[in-house]
Amino acid sequence: MSEIRLGRRAFLSVVGLGAVGLLAGGRLSGAAAPLGRLVPDGVGNLVSAGGWRIYAISPPWPSFDPASWRLEVTGEVEQPVKLTYDQLLALPSQRQTSDFHCVTGWTVGDVRWEGVRLAELWDRVQPKPTARYANFVSMEHPYVDTLTMEQTTLSGVMLGHRMDGKPLSQSHGAPVRLVIPEIYGYKNVKWLTRIELTRELRPGYWELNGYDVDAWVGRSNGY
Amino acid sequence: MAAPTATELVRRFSPAERSLHWLLAGTFLTMLATGLILTLPSLAELAVGRQLWKNIHLGAALGFWVGLLALMSSAGPELRATARELDRFDDDDRRWLRWSVHRQGDEPRQARFNAGQKLNAAIVAGLMVVFTASGVLIYLQETSAAFRGRTSAILVHDIATWVSIPLILGHLYLATVNRSTRHSLRGMILGTVRRDWARRHHPKWEETL
Repeated sequence: MSEIRLGRRAFLSVVGLGAVGLLAGGRLSGAAAPLGRLVPDGVGNLVSAGGWRIYAISPPWPSFDPASWRLEVTGEVEQPVKLTYDQLLALPSQRQTSDFHCVTGWTVGDVRWEGVRLAELWDRVQPKPTARYANFVSMEHPYVDTLTMEQTTLSGVMLGHRMDGKPLSQSHGAPVRLVIPEIYGYKNVKWLTRIELTRELRPGYWELNGYDVDAWVGRSNGY
Repeated sequence: MAAPTATELVRRFSPAERSLHWLLAGTFLTMLATGLILTLPSLAELAVGRQLWKNIHLGAALGFWVGLLALMSSAGPELRATARELDRFDDDDRRWLRWSVHRQGDEPRQARFNAGQKLNAAIVAGLMVVFTASGVLIYLQETSAAFRGRTSAILVHDIATWVSIPLILGHLYLATVNRSTRHSLRGMILGTVRRDWARRHHPKWEETL
């Protein structure tokens, strides 16, 4: 009677497939993305929310009350403003479809955003010539992150208040989040409540934890 | 040979084998539960205390390997013998694998482990390595910039999870629900099984006792 070491073969096959997966790296993640689109929305949302992972730093998630929420724009500006939710929605808004990249390696493609360009906001508050950085403060204390004034007007940057045709959900940062497709998600601040323009750079929450200040997708944080 | 009485018991699993099984079961289910909390958006609201779930998840992983080392150092030769037993598929085992698909004719006679259990053990052992390697990479990427970069560690960890879930559900079904096989759970808890059950399911092993 012949014996075959089939167990070892199965074990090594599983380990080998895993190793190939790890070595194939980002190419594999890219190839797997279209597969995700084959999954029906309902199942996808239960299993992976279309590829999103919801990260937060301090429980519980901030909740949005339209009556009391304000978006304050302060600091190095001529005309500080405090916008209500209705006033924010009344600003001219733009639509775009862009990809969202997380520094931990996942990407959600073709997210449909609707929101207000920062240039639109700057027109109203008139940044002073001394304003060099914009600090985006979240309702989730102590989350804050910073862009240079140049970065705030890159194409595709907006204060997103609608996502995939619906008002921004709590998990995605209701009522409004920063959207910067070219920069990793940790600088796409959720649950925005204040924007402060400053002369000096103030490192954001994740920068204080060792992440790059300029978080260009594919060109920072070791990529 | 005399007909076995209904109450006669034979020992199927040693204390070391049972310890290893329950070590893996306990730590794996802990990692599955905390991992799903960290991954599934429908559970993400619970995950507001992410760090707590992460610590439990990593603690269970560490516990598994520390426990495995401890068992290997106390019962190494015995567990290695079990691994050899699981590794080797004889002609009946290969026939059993084919039989398990078409289910025609008599079940090929099996020893202490049937071929399905052997295959499951090998795949699970491989998955533990894949989970650990990809998990360590995910951990390093989170904690140190030097390990970031284009990676599919999360994807590999996810795929290993989706492969494990049907395996564990099938395993639980056979061990607790399916009438003809669920008696084996007794063997994994107490070590012994009924001789008549062993004769029906594992005759090549039962006749050696």
